[in-house]
Amino acid sequence: MSQVFDELFDARGLNCPMPLVNARKEIGKLDPGQVLKVVATDRGSVADFQGWAKIAKNVELVGQETESIGGVNVYVHYVKRMA
Amino acid sequence: MRSGLRQNCSNGWNIATGSLSWMCAIAMSSRGFGSKAAARCRLFNIPYFEMLELGDKDDMVDSIVACLDSGLAGQLPSDLPILTLCAKGGTAALVGQGLRRLGYTSANLQGGMKAWGDYYATRALVAGGLVESPDLAIYQVSRPARGCLSCMVASAGRAIVIDPLRHLHPYLDLACRAGLTIEAVMDTHGHADHISGGPALAAKTGAAYYLHPHDAIHPIDMLPAAIPYEFIRDGQVFPFGWHALKALHIPGHTLGMVAFQLDEGYLFTGDSIFIRSIARPDLGGRAESWAPLHGRSLRRLLGLPVGTIVLPGHFSSLDEADEMGRFAASLDDLKRRNDGLVALQQESEEGFVRYLMESLPRFIPEYVDIKRVNAGLLAPAEEDAATLELGKNVCALSQAYAVSVGGTQ
Repeated sequence: MSQVFDELFDARGLNCPMPLVNARKEIGKLDPGQVLKVVATDRGSVADFQGWAKIAKNVELVGQETESIGGVNVYVHYVKRMA
Repeated sequence: MRSGLRQNCSNGWNIATGSLSWMCAIAMSSRGFGSKAAARCRLFNIPYFEMLELGDKDDMVDSIVACLDSGLAGQLPSDLPILTLCAKGGTAALVGQGLRRLGYTSANLQGGMKAWGDYYATRALVAGGLVESPDLAIYQVSRPARGCLSCMVASAGRAIVIDPLRHLHPYLDLACRAGLTIEAVMDTHGHADHISGGPALAAKTGAAYYLHPHDAIHPIDMLPAAIPYEFIRDGQVFPFGWHALKALHIPGHTLGMVAFQLDEGYLFTGDSIFIRSIARPDLGGRAESWAPLHGRSLRRLLGLPVGTIVLPGHFSSLDEADEMGRFAASLDDLKRRNDGLVALQQESEEGFVRYLMESLPRFIPEYVDIKRVNAGLLAPAEEDAATLELGKNVCALSQAYAVSVGGTQ
């Protein structure tokens, strides 16, 4: 799956809750309709982005992927600002 | 604002089964995790991202303060200390900061539920009929998050470990501290719910590792174990110092299940008799043929002296412990209050088999793999071993969980 995105936020090396806290801040800088790609190494971020997107105002989780880069799992989240 | 918070509040201490992505705030009514006090603590289960959205600040601690100040503050008790915890400890530390900024007395669990999962407690059984004389010591080593129990018995500097759990440091530290030489390591059976520390502890200390040969065959794969072990036989005596353990073969939970009698005063029951319930007979995938064996084995144990102190291999709920945090009870006491033993005394042989078959909790697929690991047929890396063991054991009949999940006030 190759997802289109507008901005990239690198949260690799950050531990819970910082990938989500900081990504939320970055999404605030986007225009409605734009997509933020978040890459994280924290495995818990997969469930957290899903849970958060369900309750958060004006965001939609449009895709998630797991990649293995050099033996390290990287969790990718695509978040769209809706309004 | 308050209604926007998804919140569970219960009286139970079910951290080990809590969802890892959720933020919990626990108000404890007493220090420590043992026994009745834990059953009275109040549990709030709140995802941190809900706090973040409701507080709506860029900074996590600011968000928590804003959220608590508006919505949750009225529901959290202001007169009780609050313990915050999460999966790895990071979020709980921030929530704790927020609570303290608002004037609450709060502590956070460092390392989170992961650290709690790997926490071990060692208790000497010393009072209330449980002895520690200069020539006999019994230590119970528990892993509370998993509900797993193991024991070390010692006399004249010589020790035997029964059912050691996966991490070896509690046994090695205890032996070092008490000046004991570990001479033998026993597994009461091939465990399904957790990875045994038996073979590794034996290798590390140079002790022999003992297992009943029937449990050296994986019951589903029908493959022989690929680990070195010595046979345990029914009636076999294992001396240590001035005392001795005697093996009783009690098939039922597994075909090679054994209990160990210590001087006719104590009984290490492994997975047969627990405090609140009894073991399930279905983890080998042969419940119908093993259930009658289980009934006959339990009847054999009921014939032992009524004053015998039972030390089980598991508990289902922390409130099964006495006020000292020890999981032990007399056979006489258990005959009256253990659900499985009450049924055993009331029912015919066929009736008891029916009771067993109607009380089976769901089968846990991971248990087949854990038995493979314990037989040396599978060697997972540390991370996979930890994942296999996640959650509380489900080795007892379902009644044990029906009681513990609801909690008792």
